[in-house]
Amino acid sequence: MDETYDVIVMGTGLKECILSGMLSVSGKKVLHVDRNPYYGGESASLTPIDQVFEHFKKSVPENKYGRGREWNVDLIPKFLMANGQLVKLLIHTGVTRYLEFKSVDGSYVYKGGKIYKVPADEKEALATSLMGLFEKRRFKNFLQHVQDYNVDDPKTYKGVEPNMVAKQVYEKYSLDANTQDFTGHALALFRNDEYMAKPCVDLIKRCRLYSDSLARYGKSPYLYPLYGLGELPQGFARLSAIYGGTYMLDKPVDEIVMEDGHVVGVKSQGETAKCGIVVCDPTYAPDRCKKVGQVVRAICILNHPIPNTKDGQSVQIIIPQNQVSRKDDIYVCMVSAAHNVCAKGYYLAIVATTVETSDPEAELQPGLELLGAIEEKFVSVVDLLEPIDDGTENKIFISMSYDATTHFETTCDDVLSLFKRITGEDFDFSKVQHTDTETVE
Amino acid sequence: MASRGGPQRPNGASQGKICQFKLVLLGESAVGKSSLVLRFVKGQFHEYQESTIGAAFLTQTVCLDDTTVKFEIWDTAGQERYHSLAPMYYRGAQAAIVVYDITNPDTFGRAKTWVKELQRQASPNIVIALAGNKADLASKRMVEFDEAQAYAEENSLLFMETSAKTAMNVNDIFLAIAKKLPKSETSGTPQPRQGVRLNNEQGGQQSEGGCCK
Ligand SMILES: Nc1nc2c(ncn2[C@@H]2O[C@H](COP(=O)(O)OP(=O)(O)OP(=O)(O)O)[C@@H](O)[C@H]2O)c(=O)[nH]1
Ligand SMILES: [Mg+2]
Repeated sequence: MDETYDVIVMGTGLKECILSGMLSVSGKKVLHVDRNPYYGGESASLTPIDQVFEHFKKSVPENKYGRGREWNVDLIPKFLMANGQLVKLLIHTGVTRYLEFKSVDGSYVYKGGKIYKVPADEKEALATSLMGLFEKRRFKNFLQHVQDYNVDDPKTYKGVEPNMVAKQVYEKYSLDANTQDFTGHALALFRNDEYMAKPCVDLIKRCRLYSDSLARYGKSPYLYPLYGLGELPQGFARLSAIYGGTYMLDKPVDEIVMEDGHVVGVKSQGETAKCGIVVCDPTYAPDRCKKVGQVVRAICILNHPIPNTKDGQSVQIIIPQNQVSRKDDIYVCMVSAAHNVCAKGYYLAIVATTVETSDPEAELQPGLELLGAIEEKFVSVVDLLEPIDDGTENKIFISMSYDATTHFETTCDDVLSLFKRITGEDFDFSKVQHTDTETVE
Repeated sequence: MASRGGPQRPNGASQGKICQFKLVLLGESAVGKSSLVLRFVKGQFHEYQESTIGAAFLTQTVCLDDTTVKFEIWDTAGQERYHSLAPMYYRGAQAAIVVYDITNPDTFGRAKTWVKELQRQASPNIVIALAGNKADLASKRMVEFDEAQAYAEENSLLFMETSAKTAMNVNDIFLAIAKKLPKSETSGTPQPRQGVRLNNEQGGQQSEGGCCK
């Protein structure tokens, strides 16, 4: 440990592991430590199942859930957008070789107390009872325009200037309140309605991401890695290690050592490793973070698929805030033994939302009600932390907590922003040389 | 020549089946893990092989009768040094080669620890081979062949002494593993390649590259 590094990364959450990989690839000497004996930090998949019960301070039931090692239980639920930034990062860095994915079976949206499949193709769109016949026609026109829209080409605007607010665009296409909910929350994946009063380019960009992602694998725009999301940080950690990064787990961190207002090292178990830059998650530097909100999550073990999803082995359900008189959406993500995350016959559903009241668990009720009988429920309320400064002065670069969104777009935004703050430049994907690509001869 | 990138299977393999297996290497630093892979995949040996950096994922195929066995070979990348090897490393692996250096008894002890770790953590029907490497340095031998073989028998491991330098038993050990691997769908091991590998192309499913010459 008594050595000098360019960068010390603390916490092996997904963001920290991606950064560790990028920095090692860029030629930096990286030490990566974690206080836990496992990879993943907040974005770990806990295994075996006993670890889940211990994590939530519950007693472990005996012989109930099959082989404990068959379980890999995500703490934070998310899916990858098939055409999103994380997939691009995985491909460009070659980390995708260590992983296998499955397309998520279906995406559902909640309307008037029932769930409806988000149409994945023309046929489903024609058949859906989500909207009436005339509304379908109007919606189709809207989608067509979104697909043709190009910010750099005013000819494609057709009366929709980029600075026009989202609400106005809906009105232009005469979309009703339900369709607006559906578009903004189930396609564009906005967490609340703040976007309505903002320029429409973001809405258009997000609708495009959805349809481009859908076009990739068909069933839904979402992907999920076999063995759970915890594979993602591990994959990037391996990338970092391959490029010379040193890994130490189970390593408590005592102190970030400062001199003249900037970081000079990290102290652990009496030893100090020197460095000019620290990258960490908020739990390693709580006094340098502020609380910006809370997320409540309930991890539920089921012994049946979610009702009314045609026995889907992986589904997402979005409950738009308007539908349940809230400000923030409620999300349900479910995966199963088909993804090697639990024993056969079981299903893992996570219900999550941004906390709005003093009784967070009750806020999840509309989501929990959709699940049917629940075998086991683990509830957590976590603070959303953000760094109080951008790190460029003191050279301590802190990531933001994982928000309630069901995909990784904001995760990647934070990572790329951190990389730029750390190095002063955008990440150059061409620096990753595939020295270890397939050899078939 | 293997065909790459094409959507359909290469001609040579059209009548036989292609089985793909993940194989991991384990063992103390400097015992010759990377050298064994390099010898097997590229037929090369470097006297001054650098500690593994940059290259830790290679594939190579071997042919058995009508079956092409494609090994996806994972070499460690130093994460094991401070006991920080990620579970993803041996997860889903159908085969492992645990390597020690016959001139260094400590590495044999460490190899036994890795075998235990694999028996505990990896999939239950994993095929494990023990390789006593650097067999060309017989004059400096510190681990007896009989001792290692007895240990291997007790633990149902394949065993060979190898030399990445002279190529002795290198292809043979991979071939022995290939023979022992179950090759039918009903064999009880989780079937490899259940999901999709991401790539730049539409559709994502990676095409099979195989060869039988
Ligand atoms: N004489 C002899 N030397 C070998 C043999 N195999 C490897 N070496 C040498 O041993 C050294 C270490 O080999 P590596 O292949 O780098 O060992 P490794 O197990 O991959 O080491 P790490 O990547 O550090 O874990 C190199 O100098 C090789 O040239 C062998 O069969 N015979
Ligand atoms: Mg090596």
